[in-house]
Amino acid sequence: MGQHRDRTAAAGGLSRRDLLARTGAGGIAGVLGAARPARAAGRPGATIRVAAAVPAGAIDPVTVADIGGLVLLQQTGEFLVYDAPDLTLRPMLALSWTPNPKGDVWTFRLRQGVKFHSGGTMVADDVVATMDRLADPKNGSNALSVFKGVLSPGGTRKVDDHTVAFHLDRPVGHFPYYVSSDNYNAIILPASYKGDFEKTFDGTGPFRLARYTPNAGASFVANREWWGGRALPARVEFGLYADQQSQILAMQGQQVDVMQQLTVQGGQALLNNPDVRLIKLRSSIHRQVHMRCDTGPFADKRVRQALALTLDRPALVAGLFHGLSDLGNDSPFAPVYPSTDHSVPQRGKDIARAKLLMAAAGHAHGFTVTLTTERLQEIPDYAVLIRNAAKQIGITVNLKVETQAAYYGAAKFGQSDWLDSALGITDYGHRGVPDALLSATLGSDGPWNAAHFRNPAYDRLVGDYVATTGLAAQRSIAGRIEALLLDETPVIFAYFYNYLIATGADVRGVEGTAISQLFLQSASIG
Amino acid sequence: MRIPLLRLLGQRLALAALTLLLLSLVVFAGGQLLPGDVGRAILGPLADPRAVAALDHQLGLDRPASMLYLEWMGRLLHGDMGLSYAFRRPVAPFVAAALVNSLKLAGLAFVIVVPLGIAGGVVAALHAGRWQDRAITLTGVSLTVVPEFVSSIVLILVLAVWLRALPISAAWRPGSSALVQLQHLILPALPLVIVLFGYIARMTRAGTVEALEADYTRTAVLKGLPRGVVIRRHVLRNALLPTITVLATQTGYLIGGLVVVETLFRYRGIGSLILTAARGKDFPMLEAGILTVGAVYIAATLIADAVLLLLDPRQRLGDAP
Repeated sequence: MGQHRDRTAAAGGLSRRDLLARTGAGGIAGVLGAARPARAAGRPGATIRVAAAVPAGAIDPVTVADIGGLVLLQQTGEFLVYDAPDLTLRPMLALSWTPNPKGDVWTFRLRQGVKFHSGGTMVADDVVATMDRLADPKNGSNALSVFKGVLSPGGTRKVDDHTVAFHLDRPVGHFPYYVSSDNYNAIILPASYKGDFEKTFDGTGPFRLARYTPNAGASFVANREWWGGRALPARVEFGLYADQQSQILAMQGQQVDVMQQLTVQGGQALLNNPDVRLIKLRSSIHRQVHMRCDTGPFADKRVRQALALTLDRPALVAGLFHGLSDLGNDSPFAPVYPSTDHSVPQRGKDIARAKLLMAAAGHAHGFTVTLTTERLQEIPDYAVLIRNAAKQIGITVNLKVETQAAYYGAAKFGQSDWLDSALGITDYGHRGVPDALLSATLGSDGPWNAAHFRNPAYDRLVGDYVATTGLAAQRSIAGRIEALLLDETPVIFAYFYNYLIATGADVRGVEGTAISQLFLQSASIG
Repeated sequence: MRIPLLRLLGQRLALAALTLLLLSLVVFAGGQLLPGDVGRAILGPLADPRAVAALDHQLGLDRPASMLYLEWMGRLLHGDMGLSYAFRRPVAPFVAAALVNSLKLAGLAFVIVVPLGIAGGVVAALHAGRWQDRAITLTGVSLTVVPEFVSSIVLILVLAVWLRALPISAAWRPGSSALVQLQHLILPALPLVIVLFGYIARMTRAGTVEALEADYTRTAVLKGLPRGVVIRRHVLRNALLPTITVLATQTGYLIGGLVVVETLFRYRGIGSLILTAARGKDFPMLEAGILTVGAVYIAATLIADAVLLLLDPRQRLGDAP
């Protein structure tokens, strides 16, 4: 589930000032000149074979919430804005975007002459219908959590055929991320869309559907009418796999050219394989080790600090990820975010200090606690490492490792091991900006606040951060948030691991995002 | 003679219907115990509760569970397996395609392993106590205990990755010829052959040893019948009776229990269909998948009984002396 999270994508790589600079008089040419992922020179006409995850259900842009579904969606569908692997925004179906002075109205100028595969021309009405559909609670939209409190039905208004204005419920400095590829549900569909995406995969993208067989595979052919020219491959074929092992075997047997995602756990056979090229993307994918701040021994922040001090993070990263990971510093500010304040001291292992903190908190002889978590990738191993680390300061950790369904339960306080456990580990996928994590997982009224952390000063800082424009100002507030969280330590963020895409050694031009998207229009073989 | 047979068949069919009904109830009740709900399974654990509620409502899942079951059963009695919650498409084509795939794989495995297993068992019995017997028995037992995921990976690495002799994936392109399909199926069939060979060989060996020591075999030999005729007509005919029963009981495994093999070889069989449905709480798909496997299992058992009746006159004639 790592990549399927609600992503309130805002702030981060490109600040409002940056955006204004780019979309202002001096910067507009640069924006107009940029396009989708850059095209590389390569041999045209290849068939690119991709091993991807089996979609969990129907391929419907409104409801898709898994990596298997979203990667198929974006072969034919496109977004207003592309959130590139370096977390900067690039024009896609929108050429430019500009906020009003207050930041609660954003005006997007649309690319002209864009054709849907079904034949119609994309205009503002299509964008309005798409966003209204996603923002309407009646539609069961997976993007609802992105737009909650930000964009309501009716908030997207047509200015003219090629201009749309988003009237937001509150100012959001980096709203373009909300309608970028970071919000994978936000592909632009025809206004007439009736919920039957699987029939035609109607979109505006570089590929059009040739065939889709649920649970088996999909193939796409180059779209001759694509606004970006013609895609380099003649065809892309997606084989759908239920697990990583079978994808790895297919890569080893050179029966696929691209593997959507490779995790280090179980993926060793490809990590040092000369026939395989790894695309390594720094990301904000991480695990949150929450500690209940409202009850039990972790209510004392010294105990939380002590547990965080037992972890040897470089060793964790080396052991669990072969070093393919950034270190975490107990806040959602991943090193990959431009707004992260790197001057905040990195927390390291310090058992002596941890023992002093435990003694000061009245737990010199330790205590026993249950660590509840989910069975996913490296998490059970991580849980064991935490148990071993905690033992050094007298904390006895009993492990309760469950299926994901059992762990999340009803995902409501009082009905979920995730939200109710004293100590737990939860997986979080990549986000282009940290806002959702800052507010939902740590905000006083955050729906994912498993730590039950309530701190008015923190809430104010997060509010300021979200509203702030300009990278320098953002980084300044980020530093204060990081320092506050380092002191309070409601959650341990030990690492932010790299997202890996595996390709054949002779495959070029594949671009992906840490959300699990693959952009193949520039892909070639040989 | 005919009336007892028909009565037997009628009884078996009635029992089969009752079994399937109970099975559907058990699956439904079990499905209710699975954690989470359908909307959240589709939209993910962090989805907005309003979106989850809206999707559950769209799927009609905000009604009492008993109503959902009765509605589904009513549709089933009219030949409609319902709509998949996850795929929002009719369930029947999914189940039919998966069943056909599973039957193809099971069929190929049977075609390879049954003659091999029976031949191995007969040879072992004919050489009971000698090195041939020990070699076959030991090989069979050793292969049976190798987990499918181990044998599958070894076979893939050797035959597909290193030798490049066979395709790794059992998924062939749509419209592929029977020969191409066969080529794709050989590799996934081999782990099943490995698992079943020892089992079938052992059963055949035991039956053959018993038949070889029976009075009717001694009589046939004393009559001066050639050894081959004795084995074919008198020994095998009797020795295979328990083997046939064993084969019938393996049907459920071969049709619905190949999740590991199907996953490793990217094969869309009914086992993985059921597993996916269970994970997503896709009740119509889960019910249809399990009932289909149950029906196939019952059918295989009926066929095995019929074959036993044909092969063994004592069973046709009841307790007649």
